[in-house]
Amino acid sequence: MTTMTAKKQNRSTLATTLLILGAAYCLLPVLWVLIASSKSAGELFSTFTLAPSTHLWDNIVDLNNYRDGLYWRWMANTALYAGVGAAVSTLISAMAGFALAKFEFRGKSFVFNVILAGVLVPGVILAIPQYLLLAKVGMTNTYWAVLLPSFISPYGIYLARIFAAAAVPTEILEASRIDGAGDWRTFARVVLPMMRTGLVTVFLFQFVAVWNNFMLPYIMLGDDKLYPITVGLNGLLNQGANQPAMYTSVVTGALLSIIPLIALFLALQRYWQVDLAAGGVKA
Amino acid sequence: MKTKYAPLMAALTAAALFTGTACSSSDSAEEVNPDEKVALTYWTWTPNMDKVVAAWNSANPNIQITVNKQDGGDPAVTKLLTAIKAGSGAPDIMQAEYQKIPTLVSSDAIADIAGEVGSLKDKFPEGSWNGVTLGSEAVYGVPQDSGPLMFFYRSDVFEKNGLAAPKTWDDYAAAAEKIHKADAKQYIGTFSATDAGLFTGLAQQAGASWWGVNGDAWSVNINDAATQKVASYWGGLVEKGVVDNKPMYTPEWNAALNDGTQVGWVSAVWAPGVLEGSAKDTKGKWKAAPMPQWDAASPATGNWGGSATSVTTQTKHKAQAAKFIAWLNSDPAALKLLATDANIYPAANDATSVLTTPPAFFSDQADYYTIAAEAAKATKPFTYGPNVNVAYSAFNDAFGKAAESKKAAAFTESLATIQQTTVDDLKNTGFNVAG
Amino acid sequence: MEKGSAMSLIIDKPAAPARQVPAKAAKRPAKRSGTPYAFLAPAMILFTLFLAAPIFYAGYLSLRKVQVSGLGLGAKSRTEVWAGLSNYARSLTDPDFLPSVLRVGAYGLIVVPTMLGLALLMALLLDAARTRESISKFARISIFLPYAVPAVVASLLWGFLYLPRVSPITDLFEAVGITAPNLLSSDLTLWAVANIAIWGGTGFNMIVIYTALRAVPTSLYESARIDGASDFTIAWRIKIPIVMPSLVMTFVFSLIATLQVFAEPMTLRPLANTISTTWTPLMKVYRDAFTRNDIYAAAATSVIIALATFIVSFGFLKLVGRRAFNQED
Repeated sequence: MTTMTAKKQNRSTLATTLLILGAAYCLLPVLWVLIASSKSAGELFSTFTLAPSTHLWDNIVDLNNYRDGLYWRWMANTALYAGVGAAVSTLISAMAGFALAKFEFRGKSFVFNVILAGVLVPGVILAIPQYLLLAKVGMTNTYWAVLLPSFISPYGIYLARIFAAAAVPTEILEASRIDGAGDWRTFARVVLPMMRTGLVTVFLFQFVAVWNNFMLPYIMLGDDKLYPITVGLNGLLNQGANQPAMYTSVVTGALLSIIPLIALFLALQRYWQVDLAAGGVKA
Repeated sequence: MKTKYAPLMAALTAAALFTGTACSSSDSAEEVNPDEKVALTYWTWTPNMDKVVAAWNSANPNIQITVNKQDGGDPAVTKLLTAIKAGSGAPDIMQAEYQKIPTLVSSDAIADIAGEVGSLKDKFPEGSWNGVTLGSEAVYGVPQDSGPLMFFYRSDVFEKNGLAAPKTWDDYAAAAEKIHKADAKQYIGTFSATDAGLFTGLAQQAGASWWGVNGDAWSVNINDAATQKVASYWGGLVEKGVVDNKPMYTPEWNAALNDGTQVGWVSAVWAPGVLEGSAKDTKGKWKAAPMPQWDAASPATGNWGGSATSVTTQTKHKAQAAKFIAWLNSDPAALKLLATDANIYPAANDATSVLTTPPAFFSDQADYYTIAAEAAKATKPFTYGPNVNVAYSAFNDAFGKAAESKKAAAFTESLATIQQTTVDDLKNTGFNVAG
Repeated sequence: MEKGSAMSLIIDKPAAPARQVPAKAAKRPAKRSGTPYAFLAPAMILFTLFLAAPIFYAGYLSLRKVQVSGLGLGAKSRTEVWAGLSNYARSLTDPDFLPSVLRVGAYGLIVVPTMLGLALLMALLLDAARTRESISKFARISIFLPYAVPAVVASLLWGFLYLPRVSPITDLFEAVGITAPNLLSSDLTLWAVANIAIWGGTGFNMIVIYTALRAVPTSLYESARIDGASDFTIAWRIKIPIVMPSLVMTFVFSLIATLQVFAEPMTLRPLANTISTTWTPLMKVYRDAFTRNDIYAAAATSVIIALATFIVSFGFLKLVGRRAFNQED
């Protein structure tokens, strides 16, 4: 019995060690950015990489002073693109997912397959034709140029269909109909609340996708007051040969830009239970 | 939104929407009343340009300029060309590097303002002016700044090794060897495969001109004797290991400037700004010198960087835009602002009168702008073609491999690849190519 | 809630609610048949405008080319003409194209198994009850954290960590007296790029697998344990088969992401000599479109990549015989 406990103990230690190693690997660059953003421009390239310094606040002030606080505008823009884009996209995905999961209609499998095919298309390929088409209606270099394409997420629709199929019992829909509620009323009052958990996941997915998207705003926007954070930071880094790259500002900016996402993740942690396969295993 | 919206219907409606609006957009340039109030947008990546523009805006209430800061020359040109293709979305005024002007002209992106801009020819050095006329009667912009090559070095390290600023490329090679031998961590410089612009300048100094116009055909001479000489020279130094092979403008390069392991830099007149931003703490240790020469008896140099200001073909206010860019790049008050606020080296002849004190990072070197002016005068003629970007990206790939291999032979062989790629691209697009 | 349906699979009950829908819905009165279309309309309109139209437009562009006359400097010397399939021919015969495809293949062989292997391992460790709660929570959040870091930013951070002169990794090697490898040299670049993808993607896949594991009733393990099965056996014989559907899906999505690798090498490119402008097929698209100003060639390569992605991912699904992508039976 004692040997067995010892063995268990060992295994537990091994498991814990492995998990901590994994966590350390994932935290290393984050730790680095934290340390690096505390260094002055000179120290960043001369002192030992993992030795912290005391200039974090100076760096934040520098970043804040860059072209009258443009950085904060980028943060606000990012929040707008990701927040509004993801919210609208979630609603549209919920409606489409609900229709695909709970109704039978002509062309259903065609629509679903087309949407799935949409999941596979890389953004880089879409960016140029999207630009050319939006330019024809004069919408490039506006907030809409980034927002509108963010409203549609084939992946979000795919997930919403899974969630609707799993979370909304048909009986309740029938009951609601018998009570005389219209389809829209049923959707708003019954379906949306039932899909809530899943929809938060869809929201988070799309939020991260928009937040991470570089190519679309990079192509669409000519005015740097409209930039999201990724494009803005990239600009600080690549200013052309006759301008020095602003490494300390980029590093500090990168650190600050991660914080809101981490906060969002921690706050919505319990929703991160993604069951990708649920839709695919019923047969 | 009630019912009956089959997906197919939706698709058709949407498609109709697109084609409908597509036809309605037009970009006809109307004649304008000079007293009319106009608002123009200006794409530039020069820092603090908004301050220079503010001076214009307060004096010219009828022509108000808004600066849209860009992320450097390549992304800005990319966006401009895409906007031109799309038929809308371009600014009125655009900063254009000299090497991009043939591309922009051939894509019908920037307008001929010969009729609007008046006689400015005499206010600029011949080389810069040729850059905006492409040798024709047309005027595709007004030169803003130029980037004559100069050599920058850590005087403390050179002194310690008993070296003076190299007068010739032989001196440079000897200094490179001596410095690296004395301290294996130190290099006189690096060969950067990511900076085609610098290599072009070096080839220009040696007498190359990569493109040319023969009647109604383009010629391409990237693999000529002068460029071969430059490539084999740098390949030799890299193969020997006395010059580093890492790209510039990386964190590593910044570190090398900061910790004194890169003690020299072949760069251009704008280098002080970059050095100050990248290695502030080394202030006072750097000195500027004229470029090392192939033939000390006839000094020559090339350009790295430098740009003009152009009016795009999508503007509806060509006359006003031309008036502004003429002021911006030739009016003494504007030149002063460009030099002090925007930290550039104006191309106009009058610039010498406003460039009296050396840049802050070289405050000890009173003759800084004298050296620069000599360099600017010694700039060799060079013609850019309509597909510079193709040649430059071929340069990145071919010389990236060569630098990684550290073989001099690979350097010279790379030129044939770049030449081939550039010619093929021209032919494929339908340009007449001689030879 | 979504856990429910996974559970229904595990205890081998047919997923009743979902299955009954079609039958009942079909019986509904005809006058209401417009409803699903109305619900779908916003999605379909946006899909048409921002996905379908651009794709068809790209297809159109891939058949066009610009024809310049003479020196090409006159204002109207550029015309767009039909190109037939010449853009495709040029794309496929470009000497840089095949190496970039093979490189992405090798990259996928590194990234997908490593990332999913690590994700599965971490999920199983998290699920093992005896790991202390606080450590488990800390590890879960830490490993998931990189998902919050945009690829452009992640590549920038790792770039700093790779460059020998500024990297703590180099210092570490030197401290123990070994010459540090240059992670951006030609032998290791592929691994350096792969590492960024693995770092960014492991956490997300771990959560997916972990979610599936948590849905399994513990009673299932208890009986196995009473029968004397070791942890390893339980993981191998019970847990992994249970999360297989999740693994298949994460595999497909990872594969798609892998074929589209772009942001990481693009960000690292200026830092090293070893990443060319056509290092991956999407980088070639970018180069053609934005550096060479040839959107027609870029469109042709795009179409080829899109088709290849379809074939590979649907081919894989066909191969494993899952209907994950298709709701119709």
